[in-house]
Amino acid sequence: MTVASRAASPEVAGREVSLELIGLRRRFGSVVALDGLTFSVPPGEVFGFLGPNGAGKTTAMRAIFGVVALEGGQVRWQGQPVTEQARRRFGYMPEERGLYPGMQIMEQLEYLGRLHDMTAASARDAARHWIKRLGLAGRESAKLEALSHGNQQRVQLAAALMHDPELLVLDEPFAGLDPGGVDDMTEILAERARAGVTVLFSSHQLDLVEHICQAVAIIHRGRVVTQGAVSDLERGDRPRLAVRVAGDQAGDWAARLDPALASVEQVNSGMVVLTLAPGADSQKVLDAARAAGAVEHFSFASRRLSEVFRDVTGEEA
Amino acid sequence: MNSKWIRLTAIIAEREIRQRGRSRAFAVSTIVLLLVVAAAVVIPAILARTAKPQRVGIVGGQAAAMTEIVREAGRLTGTGVTVVPQPSLAAGEAALRSGQLDVLLVNDSEVVVKQVSLADSSGSGGGLASAIADVAGLSRLLGQLPPGAAGRGVTLPVRGLSPPSASLSRRLTGLFTVVLVWVLISAYGSQIAMGVGEEKQNRIVEVILASVRPIQLLVGKVTGIGVLALAQAALMVAVFLGLGAAVGSSLAHGAAPGIVIVGAVFLVLGYACYCTAFAAVILPVQVPLIVAYALSYTVIYANGANLFYKVLGFFPPTAPVAMPVLYAAGDVPAWQAAISAVLVAVGTVWMARTAATIYGRSILRTGSRVRLRQVLARGEAA
Repeated sequence: MTVASRAASPEVAGREVSLELIGLRRRFGSVVALDGLTFSVPPGEVFGFLGPNGAGKTTAMRAIFGVVALEGGQVRWQGQPVTEQARRRFGYMPEERGLYPGMQIMEQLEYLGRLHDMTAASARDAARHWIKRLGLAGRESAKLEALSHGNQQRVQLAAALMHDPELLVLDEPFAGLDPGGVDDMTEILAERARAGVTVLFSSHQLDLVEHICQAVAIIHRGRVVTQGAVSDLERGDRPRLAVRVAGDQAGDWAARLDPALASVEQVNSGMVVLTLAPGADSQKVLDAARAAGAVEHFSFASRRLSEVFRDVTGEEA
Repeated sequence: MNSKWIRLTAIIAEREIRQRGRSRAFAVSTIVLLLVVAAAVVIPAILARTAKPQRVGIVGGQAAAMTEIVREAGRLTGTGVTVVPQPSLAAGEAALRSGQLDVLLVNDSEVVVKQVSLADSSGSGGGLASAIADVAGLSRLLGQLPPGAAGRGVTLPVRGLSPPSASLSRRLTGLFTVVLVWVLISAYGSQIAMGVGEEKQNRIVEVILASVRPIQLLVGKVTGIGVLALAQAALMVAVFLGLGAAVGSSLAHGAAPGIVIVGAVFLVLGYACYCTAFAAVILPVQVPLIVAYALSYTVIYANGANLFYKVLGFFPPTAPVAMPVLYAAGDVPAWQAAISAVLVAVGTVWMARTAATIYGRSILRTGSRVRLRQVLARGEAA
C-alpha cells in the first residue's frame, strides 16, 4: 500500500479503515444470507471473519468481489464504492477452490496474473516467486490435478497473491491444510499485513484466529453480533476475576458478596469466577476473599474466543 | 468497450486457443474432418472414372470414321465405349431418353446427351460427351471441310434433350456450406457448453469473475474457440477446393467466389450467434438450427425455394443455415444475402448480451435453478 492511499483511508471511530461493508442485504429464496451486514477492516491488520455455518460469511466475501448481486448496501474500498478497477487489485481465495485442473500451474498463475492487469513478463516473475516461496519449485509444468490436495491449496493461495493485492480475502484458507501448511499460511498472512495489505479471512478454527488476528467480526444470521480487537473481546466489556480461598470448595464466601460489586459466574472446585460490576474495584473483592480465609489464587480471567463465539451466536464454532 | 476491455477478453481467448489447440482432441478431430472431406471429394470422382462402359449412338455420316472418333474419345477420357449405330436422329434421341444410350454423336453437327451438366457446358469438364465433341470437331477440321463449317469452331456443340440443371453443382457447394456450418456449430457449441460447465463446476469462474465481467469471459471463450473452429473450417475448405480441382470433382465446380464469400460470412455469424447462446442454454436454441438444417435439403433438391424457407433466410436464428443454401441455389440475389447478414449480426449482438446475462446470473448460483423471470428481470445488473 502506498503512502498516498493510506492517507486517503477514512476513519471510523478513530480507527483507520480500508474496507467497509455497509448494510449488505441478500436473500436466497426464503433464506436471509445477509441482513444488513456492516463492519469495517483496518489496513495492515489480519482480520478474522467468524460465524457458524450459514451465517453469511461466504456470501459477504463474494459480495466484495461482485460475484453475488446485492439487494441493498454497499462495499467501499478506501472510502469509495468498489469499482471493477479496484477489484483487480484485490486477491481472492474462494472457499470452493477454483482453478483449471488440467492446466499447468505456471501457466495457470500467469493467466490469472494477467487478468489482474499484470504484463506477461511480470506475471511470469511473480508466478516463479510464489511457486518457490510456497515450496512448489520444480512443479511448474505439472498439471494442477497431479498435485496433492495440500499443494493445490498452495497454488490457490499463490493465485490470490500473484498481483501483490492491496486487499486479500480468503475464505477458510486453513481448511484442509496440514500443520506445515497452516504455518506457511499464517506466516504469509502476517507478512502481507506487515507490508500494509488488508487481510480478511474466515475460519472455523478459533484457536488459530486467536493466534493470528488482531481483530475479528463475528456474524450470525447475516448480521454482525460482535466485533473488535481480539484482546478487547477476550477481556469482555466487564473484567472477570478467578479467585480461590483455601478450604472453601463451594465458594460460599463469594455468595455473600454485594451484587453491586461482583456477581458469581461459576464455581469449579473452589475456583470462583466472578464478573465485576461496572466501575467496581477488584481490590474490594480481594479484601472480601482474604476476610474469608487464605487466598490461594487471584487473577483476572480472560475469555477464550470460542467462549465469546458461543455467547454471541449460541452455537459452537 | 475500451482497449482494456478488449485486452482482458483477448487474454481469455488466448488461453482457450492455447489449451484447446494443443489438445489431442483437437488434432484428432481435425484429421478426421479432413479425411471425411477428402473422401467426400475423391471417392465419387474415382467411382465416376471406373464407370461402366458408355453406350454411344452414331447417326449419319461414315460409321467407320465416327466409330474411330468415339473410340479415340473413350481412350482420352479413360472410358470404355460401345458404339451403337442408330437408324435416325429421332431413333437415337428416343434411345437416349429411355437410357439405352448415354451419348449420341450426330455426324459433323452436334453431340446430344440427355441433360447437359454444368461441368460439361462450362467446357472445363472431362466428360465423355465433351471429349467426343472435341475429337469429332477436330476430325471435321482435319477433313478439310468448307471454311464456313470450320469457322463454327473446333468443338461440336453439345445439346441436352432436357433443360440443363444449371445450378446443381452450385447447390452441392451450398450443401457443403450448410454441412460445414452445422458440423462446426454442433462440435464447437458442445465444446463451449462443456467448457462453461467445467468452469462452473470447479468454481474457477468465481476467481475469474472477480476481475472480469461475465460478457468478457463469454466473448473471450467463444472467440478463442471460434478461431480454432475457423482454422479447421479453412483447412476443410482448402482441402475441398484443392482436391476437388485436382480430381476434377463436380462438387467443387459450384464454388464461385460469391458462394464461398456468403458461406464464410454466414459461417462466422452462425458460429458467433449460436455459440454465445450455447454458453448459456443449449436445448431451446438448437431447435431453429435443426429446423433450418433439415429444410435446407428440400431447397437443395427442389427447383426454387418456397416462401417459408425464404423467410427463414432472413430470420436471424435460422439464417446462418438457410441463407447460404438460398444464395447457392440462386434463389436470392447478393443484396438480400447482405441484408440477412446484417440482421444476423444485430441478432448476434443481442444474443451475446442476453447470453452473458443468463450466464452471469446462472454461473454464480449453484444449487438453485435460475428461473427465466429472474434472468430477464434486472438484466442490466449482470
